[in-house]
Amino acid sequence: MRWLWIDSIIKHEPDTRLVAIKNVSLGEDYLHDYIINGRPIMPFSLLIEGMAQTAGILVGTMSGFKEKVILAKICKATLDCDVTAGDTVRFDATIDRIDDAGAATMGVIDRRVAGGDAWERIGAVELMFSHIDHNYSGTEFPEHNFVFSDNFKMILETAGLIHLMKD
Amino acid sequence: MKPQETVMNRDDIYAKIQDVLDDALGVDEDEVTAEASLTADLGAESIDFLDIVFRLEKTFDFKISQGELFPENLTENPDWVDDGKLTDAGLDMLKERMTHVDFNDIESGDRDVAKIADSITVTSLVNFVQNKLDKG
Amino acid sequence: MRFDLVDQVLEKEEGRIVTIKQVSNAEEYLADHFPSFPILPGVLMLEAMVQAASELCSKDGQRLVLGQVKALKYGAMVRPGDRLRVEVIVKQTNPDGSIMCKGTGTVLRNDTTDTETAVAGRFTIRPVRTSQ
Repeated sequence: MRWLWIDSIIKHEPDTRLVAIKNVSLGEDYLHDYIINGRPIMPFSLLIEGMAQTAGILVGTMSGFKEKVILAKICKATLDCDVTAGDTVRFDATIDRIDDAGAATMGVIDRRVAGGDAWERIGAVELMFSHIDHNYSGTEFPEHNFVFSDNFKMILETAGLIHLMKD
Repeated sequence: MKPQETVMNRDDIYAKIQDVLDDALGVDEDEVTAEASLTADLGAESIDFLDIVFRLEKTFDFKISQGELFPENLTENPDWVDDGKLTDAGLDMLKERMTHVDFNDIESGDRDVAKIADSITVTSLVNFVQNKLDKG
Repeated sequence: MRFDLVDQVLEKEEGRIVTIKQVSNAEEYLADHFPSFPILPGVLMLEAMVQAASELCSKDGQRLVLGQVKALKYGAMVRPGDRLRVEVIVKQTNPDGSIMCKGTGTVLRNDTTDTETAVAGRFTIRPVRTSQ
């Protein structure tokens, strides 16, 4: 199982908003272990991770990806309708507040069913991220920014946003 | 004529703070008593302090600067902290800067720097908000 | 990779369950989370609590899924070789079949008997909802 829960970035408003989509496919292994009433269901926890990756990238852009940004708190998350293979989900994240210690983000999840055109709102997720160099001073971790790895660079490159990663 | 200002009384402030703590800490209503310590009784940690600051700013429409509500970076100053214990100078500084907090337990007791956050109670938050709103 | 986050059920009684999730380098997602610094992702700690809660509350083999999360915060990191001890307590059962729970995860390490909290918060599980 790869740990990349978004497929591509479709919108970026600098320092404000990032929108990403994810296709849900039977090619994904975990779905085969989450069959309920004969249907493969994508666990909400993994949708939350999709939002965390979307919002996390947005928070990362604000420091040129110099800060190590990690998920510190799920303030609130709700899912009104479950997601299945063939659906596409859209994560729309915005910055609520940000400072040296960390950031608070808001986001909504929309879903488009297989063969459909329309998006329907299915959930909302509010998160908080810590800038860990400031807050986790007791823990030993690598100097380099291990959070924003090659996977994320690839997503940024595909979206034409790699220039946001200052090196 | 002076425009009428809506004055928020202490009970209003307390009720709004109960909502903030319910959202930020997910605690039961009966756990949020006036004397409850945010850390020792309600389980708050540093990420929760940031969450509480952000929510108070939104609820009461004012700005809180770093270190204004919750003490920060104490251990970095050797005048204030010696071997993990708060010095007299450190205690005076806290009492002067954090008028919303009652430091009597720290003063008469342990002086352990790690325990300072425990002195911040729900009442401390109400005091803080009231002070800020009074200043206008 | 199998998506099963309950390795062992330690205790199970009315309204409460305690389970273990072991973390091993053999788990594939660790290669991405993070390269050179593998740690159990926070949402998998949440999923471990959800699966424990479903194990406790599901009736007639009907698995329950995550519907809501509230004030769930992360603390200590869980590394390969560590174990996450998950405890879920039922707080309230609602007429629509949703169940509000309180969950905590503590890290058990091999080199010490001290424990640290990795995750704590509230969540609600419910029957699956697929569109009509």
